[in-house]
Amino acid sequence: MSKRVEVVLIYQSLLGLYGDRGNATVLMKRLAWRGYESVLTAVEPGHPLPDTGDVYLLGGGEDAAQVTAVRALKADGGLYRAVDRGAAVLAVCAGYQIVGNSFTVGYKDEVISGLGLLDISTTRGPVRAVGEIISRWNGRDGNDQWLTGFENHGGYTRLGPGVKPLASVEIGIGNCSDGSEGAVAGTVIGTYPHGPILARNPALADHILELALKRELEPLVHPEINKLRRQRLRRVRRSHARSAR
Amino acid sequence: MSISTARLSAATYAGRLAGAASRLAGRGTGASIRGKVMLKLDPSALSKLLVGKRIAIVSGTNGKTTTTHFLAAALRESLGPDANRLVHNADGANLHHGLASALSEHPEADIAILESDERVVGDLIKLGRPEVLVLLNFSRDQLDRHHEIKSLGRSWRTALTQAGTAGPVVVANADEPLVVWAAMAAKEVVWVDTATTWTQDSSLCPECDASLIRIQPDPRSGQDADWYCTGCGLARPKGDYRVESGTIVDHTEHVWDPQLSVPGVFNISNAACALAAAELMGVEPRTALAGMRRVTSPAGRFATARFGTTTARLLLAKNPAGWAEALPLAQSQTVVLAIDSAAADGRDVSWLWDVEYERLAGRSVIATGRRAQDLAVRLEYAEVDYRCIPDLGDALADHPEPVDVIATYTPFQRLRKMGRV
Repeated sequence: MSKRVEVVLIYQSLLGLYGDRGNATVLMKRLAWRGYESVLTAVEPGHPLPDTGDVYLLGGGEDAAQVTAVRALKADGGLYRAVDRGAAVLAVCAGYQIVGNSFTVGYKDEVISGLGLLDISTTRGPVRAVGEIISRWNGRDGNDQWLTGFENHGGYTRLGPGVKPLASVEIGIGNCSDGSEGAVAGTVIGTYPHGPILARNPALADHILELALKRELEPLVHPEINKLRRQRLRRVRRSHARSAR
Repeated sequence: MSISTARLSAATYAGRLAGAASRLAGRGTGASIRGKVMLKLDPSALSKLLVGKRIAIVSGTNGKTTTTHFLAAALRESLGPDANRLVHNADGANLHHGLASALSEHPEADIAILESDERVVGDLIKLGRPEVLVLLNFSRDQLDRHHEIKSLGRSWRTALTQAGTAGPVVVANADEPLVVWAAMAAKEVVWVDTATTWTQDSSLCPECDASLIRIQPDPRSGQDADWYCTGCGLARPKGDYRVESGTIVDHTEHVWDPQLSVPGVFNISNAACALAAAELMGVEPRTALAGMRRVTSPAGRFATARFGTTTARLLLAKNPAGWAEALPLAQSQTVVLAIDSAAADGRDVSWLWDVEYERLAGRSVIATGRRAQDLAVRLEYAEVDYRCIPDLGDALADHPEPVDVIATYTPFQRLRKMGRV
């Protein structure tokens, strides 16, 4: 076996609103179930991000928390070095917005400059996107292609030429009601749904681990997770069909 | 009879009819529909019903039902044979229609002890001119509806500022930064050091958005919980009342052993807030505590019920802070956890991942409710032994030993009905 895999959970006190810690739990367990050793490094503002991390996780948070987090991450600089090293980054919801070029906060729509790790920009949308979301992961097929989660965001995100959308929306709002969801550039993945996202979408969890480890991982069999996926997809589609009628 | 009171009487009567019809149809207590019909026929029913009463309001994310029961019991104890002078929304219906419904059932009462939803506090301050307002805590809950807990705190602060000297005396939890910030707008505050340990929902200063420094209590070194802002002067106020190793120290430094009938250290914190409020309403602490000890299962919480041959204790937990309190109380070898995502539970169950279900390792868990499968996956990752039995009745069937059940709001209400508690 190889070296210990380090999962870095960034500013949980600011960006941990929607069970985002769960993404770290899922990654670490999926490594352990395959016999990999892993370590969780939870970092709070004022403490440096480790330069040894393999996966960096950012989650959801309120406006003020976003501003504090982006300021601290810029001052720290560690996340830029991590991306340069080829470490994997998963940024969810508010975390997704702050890794972009810019986002707005408050009712006055104050523009805040982001980390610029993804070529996206976010402004306040016409209606808040709240509800179950199903999207189709671009470039994937089979059961794994369906991504299921819960989105809750007021900001709408537009993608620039430097990124590709992660998925296409089947039900929900996604980036900005334009049919796209999330964004990908290199080893950086941004997405709106939580749930948390990796608990409901184990293939995405494994994809992130494979990006970080630069190797393929053998599949894991957990029927309960597949059962949850089937149940979510079925129920969300059914209630969507009902409300559309 | 003036036109205004005639309208209220007609609305009350119509509401009662609707409530009775709903009850007969087996749709619950009918309290909510009663209030809805009343407010439809007389939109000012709530403010009319509040007029001329001495009022105390209790609000916060967690513990408001139990705290309101404590406070009502304290006042009843002091009223003795006149206890029917008091009206209390005991069933926990705490929105406008629930409040109107409860008040209309006891029009003769001149003291109202009311639990209020966080969103209704501002209206009650305006409409009812309460004497006392108890503010317990704020934590993430139903985020699909309340996107920012700070906006709730801001609404309390605004209402208190606008009320000025006509506003209530506030009893506030000094350990909760957002509660403190809101309460500071009141004309007078009684601070309660509740020894709260949940700090995950307040990392930024509500006044200036700078980071808060939080110090966890450590009984070994004698370190008390503390917090202060690194940007402005906001800091934890000194408690007038304090919770200290299971006792309540009042503002005269008298130490009371609460000896409550309900379990949990968090209920000692709730009792400390109720004790402070009761004193403001003119009840002696000894009398107040005697009343509070009679509270055993407020609106079904902590009640023991029978489900066929199974004996089960019902615990309610609605959000990560509530689960952090409830999980240590669940001591049975088999624990039943009931999860739903109806509107009243919050449609988003991502909070399951903010609860430390790992604590249940070594126990056998039954996951039930409409979102049992989401919990099953959470337990799979927590490596806790579980069985997934979505139907509540099946999940509770045939347990030879008593079981503890922790449920979110909707399954909790169903279990109360099934177990008649």
